[in-house]
Amino acid sequence: MKRANNFIERSLMGALSFLKESIFADELAARPGFLQSLDPHVKAITMFSFIIIVLFAKSMLLVMYLYVQCLLLALCSKIRLGFFLKRTWIFMPLFALFIAVPAIFSVFTPGEPLFRFQVSGIAFIITRQGISGAGLFVSRVITSVSYATLLSLTTKHFVLLKVLRVFKIPQVFVMVIGMCYRYIYLFMEIVENTYLAIKSRAGVIIRYRHGQHIVAWNIAQLWQRSYQLNEDVYSAMRSRGYSGEPVILNGVKTGKRDWFWLCYALTLVIGAVYFTYWRR
Amino acid sequence: MNNGIFELKNVHFAYLGKFPALCGIDFTVYQQDKIALIGANGSGKSTLLHLLDGLIFPGKGTIRAFGRELKEDLFNDISYSRDFRKRVGLVFQNPEVQLFCPTVKEDIVFGPLQLGMDKAIITERLERLICVLDIKDLLERPPHQLSIGEKRKVAIASTLIIDPEVLLLDEPTAGLDPLTTRHIVDLLIQEHKSGKTLIVSTHDLHIVEELADTVYVVSQEKRIVKSGKPQAILADFQLLQAHNLIHIHRHSHEDTTHAHPHLHTEHH
Repeated sequence: MKRANNFIERSLMGALSFLKESIFADELAARPGFLQSLDPHVKAITMFSFIIIVLFAKSMLLVMYLYVQCLLLALCSKIRLGFFLKRTWIFMPLFALFIAVPAIFSVFTPGEPLFRFQVSGIAFIITRQGISGAGLFVSRVITSVSYATLLSLTTKHFVLLKVLRVFKIPQVFVMVIGMCYRYIYLFMEIVENTYLAIKSRAGVIIRYRHGQHIVAWNIAQLWQRSYQLNEDVYSAMRSRGYSGEPVILNGVKTGKRDWFWLCYALTLVIGAVYFTYWRR
Repeated sequence: MNNGIFELKNVHFAYLGKFPALCGIDFTVYQQDKIALIGANGSGKSTLLHLLDGLIFPGKGTIRAFGRELKEDLFNDISYSRDFRKRVGLVFQNPEVQLFCPTVKEDIVFGPLQLGMDKAIITERLERLICVLDIKDLLERPPHQLSIGEKRKVAIASTLIIDPEVLLLDEPTAGLDPLTTRHIVDLLIQEHKSGKTLIVSTHDLHIVEELADTVYVVSQEKRIVKSGKPQAILADFQLLQAHNLIHIHRHSHEDTTHAHPHLHTEHH
C-alpha cells in the first residue's frame, strides 16, 4: 500500500510540476533573442507558413534547408542546441520513425531494390523509393515539430493565445482560453496544497477505500470551487464594465525587423511553391 | 436627496432565496463620506458591497443610487450600466477573483477598455498608477506569480484606473504585512482627499479610525446594530466583544494571570 501511495504521490507531483514547467515557464521567451524580438503575429504567421511548406515539400533538399534554418533560428534566439534537439526529437519524431519503418520495404513501396535479407524463410527487400519516402516523411515530421516547438519556446503563452486573433478566432473565445490558462495554475496549486494537507493529517499510508473516498471528495470540492470562482469572476468582470463583448488592449507594434523577416519568409514560400509545383 | 449617493431602505437579501445574508439594512451614503462596515466573518459585509455595486439586487427593500432605484433591468441599458460602472468601483475581497487576465497590465486596463474610455486617457492613468503603487516591474507578469500584497495592489489599481466617484473596498488589508497595509491605507486616504467616497468593509480595527468618519457595526444577525464615530465605536468594548471583533487576551504578571478584552487600533 505504501508503494501504491508513493506511486500516486509521484504521479500527482510529477504531473503538476510538468504542467508548471511546460505551460507556465516563460524563461526562454523572456530572453533577448532574435525570435523573441519579433512581433508575435508576424512570428506566428511565418512559422505556420514554414510548416505548410514542409508539409507540401517534395524535395528532401528543401526540407533539410528549412530544418537547418530552424536550428539556426534557435541558436539566434539564445536556445541551447542540445536542449532544443532533446525537446524536439523525443516522442513525436521517434513515433514517426516507427510508423515509417514498414514503408521502406518493397511490400508497401515497390521500386529499385537496395538490400535483401531473409527472416524465417521470408524475403524482405528494402527499396530506394521506400527509404526516400520514409526519410522525407520523418524529416517533415521533425522539421514541423521543430518549428512549432520554436514558436512556443520563444513566445509567452498568453501572447500566443492573442495571436489566434490573426486567424479570425472570436475575441471572446481567445479571452476564455486566456482565463483558463490563468486559472489552471490556481487550481493546480489547490490540488497540490490539498494533497499536502491530506498527507499532513493522514500520514503516508492511507487505506485503499479511504483513499478513494478522499479523491472523490476532492474532485467534488474542486468542481464546487471552480463553479463558485466562475460566478465570482463574472461578477468582477461586470463590476468593471464587461457587457458580453470584450475589448482587449493590443500593445504590439510591428517594426522594420518584422517587415524584413516577413518579406524573407514570403520570398521563401513563393520560391518553394515555384520549385515544387510550377518548375516541373 | 442632498448629495446623497446611496440610500438603503429595509434591504433584505438571501442567497438562493433561502439563506439570509442581510436582514433590514438602512443607511445613507453622502458624497465624500468615509464609511467603515465592521463585523465578524459571515455578517454580510461583502454582500452589502455587492448590492451597492449593482451586482446583486435586494429581495426586499430598496437601494437608490445617484437618485435612481437600483434594479436588474436598469443594467440592461448599456449607457446606464457604463455610467454606473464609471462612477462606482469595487475592490473584491479575493484578488484572485479580480485578476483574471493573463498579465497584470491587461488586468489593470480591462475596466476602462470595456467602458470605452479613450486610450490616451487610459495610458496616462496607467502611468500615474504605476508610479503611485510602484508596480512597474509587475506589468508584464502573470497575476498568479504575484505575492498577496502585490495582488492586492494590482486589484486596487484595476479599480482606481476607472477613477470612480465611489470606492467600495472589501477587506482591502486582509492578509497583508504592516508596511503594505500602511501603503494601501495612505493611498486610500489620498483618494478620499481627492474627492472620492470611501466605503470599506473590514474586521481589521487598525485601519478603521483612519479610513472612516462613520462606522457601521454589522451583526451576525445580518443587520446594522450600531453606527457612530470611530472613536465611540472602538471605545465600546462590550459591543465589539459581542460581535467577535476583539478577543479576551490572557497574560501573566509574575505570579498572577489575568484576562481582559484586547484591541489594537493603530499600527506602530
